[in-house]
Amino acid sequence: MRNIVALLIRYHNFLLFFGLQIVALSVIYNSGKFHRSEILEHSSDIAGYVYSKRTDLTRYLRLGEINDALSLENADLRGQLADKYRLRNAVDSIIDSLLQQRYEFRSASIVNATVNREQNFIVLDRGTYGGIAPDMGVISNGCLVGVTRSVSKHFSVVMPVIHSDFKASVRIGRNGSFGSLVWRGGDAAIAKVIEIPKSIQVNQGDTIYTTGYSTYFPPMILVGRVEGVDDTDNDYHVIDVRLAADFRKISYVDIISDLLRFEQDSLLEQEPSTHGAANSH
Amino acid sequence: MAQQILISTVRILFLLLLQALVVSRMNLFDGLILPWVYIFGILMLPLSMPSWGIMLSAFAVGIGMDYLSGPMGLHASSCLVIGLVLPWMRRILAPREGYDSTQKPTVQKMGLPWYLTYAGAVTLAHHAWFFIVEVFRTSDLGYQLIKILLSSVLTLILMTIGQYLIYNSKN
Repeated sequence: MRNIVALLIRYHNFLLFFGLQIVALSVIYNSGKFHRSEILEHSSDIAGYVYSKRTDLTRYLRLGEINDALSLENADLRGQLADKYRLRNAVDSIIDSLLQQRYEFRSASIVNATVNREQNFIVLDRGTYGGIAPDMGVISNGCLVGVTRSVSKHFSVVMPVIHSDFKASVRIGRNGSFGSLVWRGGDAAIAKVIEIPKSIQVNQGDTIYTTGYSTYFPPMILVGRVEGVDDTDNDYHVIDVRLAADFRKISYVDIISDLLRFEQDSLLEQEPSTHGAANSH
Repeated sequence: MAQQILISTVRILFLLLLQALVVSRMNLFDGLILPWVYIFGILMLPLSMPSWGIMLSAFAVGIGMDYLSGPMGLHASSCLVIGLVLPWMRRILAPREGYDSTQKPTVQKMGLPWYLTYAGAVTLAHHAWFFIVEVFRTSDLGYQLIKILLSSVLTLILMTIGQYLIYNSKN
């Protein structure tokens, strides 16, 4: 007995280490891959306060840049508005439900974000009270950013393209063939497009857009441009894409809600053979 | 003693904020180098502190860092490694007559070679543990090793420069 006590005293530091290490590792293990709850909890307490103050400061310093982007986007939208009027005049006998609104856009600003990890995240200052729900598409200046995951009352967490679990269906603008967009760590400006067969020719500089097959994003949202093609794999291209959204700089985003989403998804669920098809972004 | 505890606590809180608000925002070579300078607060704990005290303080610093950035438990786990390695290094590097009460673990008091060995070993242990736990599922071992080494070197450089800036030769 005395020996055991002596042993405990002799190695108390080791025992302390192992005891606390087990606590720490089990907390890591239980918090799961995306660590959602912690990020959300943070957004409303002291740490959230500190981070929002820092964001306020950096946003203030970048006001000029943000204004430029906004005025450009305004001009662009105004141009589209003119197109719409022309269209309506051309088909002036049909005014009603033919052109039903499908997508709603909500603006939000970024409270906190990471770019230098394997599993990055973005926290937005809008939650369920602002009309945000999980699994909505997120874009910035018309460029693909990510998908909302967990949402609290006032905040939401976005899984950006630069998260190792992100996947979205995209197409090459020039010939319309489609593949999957993934990110495998490293450079936050480069993602990869896989699953495009080698029979399809891909050139450097080709534009990549979303397909609109899922209910997360409308079609033709800009993803980026082809930077290079790696053909060492057997049947498929592995395409490097320079992302159009600069994750180091974005401070405002638009969140897309698809008003017809439940209609489309419920239709898919009725078909036994398409189960699971709605799950990819 | 009370003064030492107060100074250490303030230093640790300052370093945690510095880490979360400034250093973690640096994006060097696309996330290849990510220095964790907040461990400087643990390295500077008084030499007279017992090893269990160092272990518990390190754990608390780790929880503080977890609270400010990312997944709960990651820094706590890595800082426990410091709690284990730090007392070893202090024992191994101790002068023959032991540390006297005026000595601090700084370049000015202990000399540059002593400091680089001491801080280098602790930093490497912490960074290695951290990056291995963080990307446990990454298969790219070579990239991970380079990341550990370069990040450790930058942390060490930043901490040493910090010492020359904070402690002049008078104290």
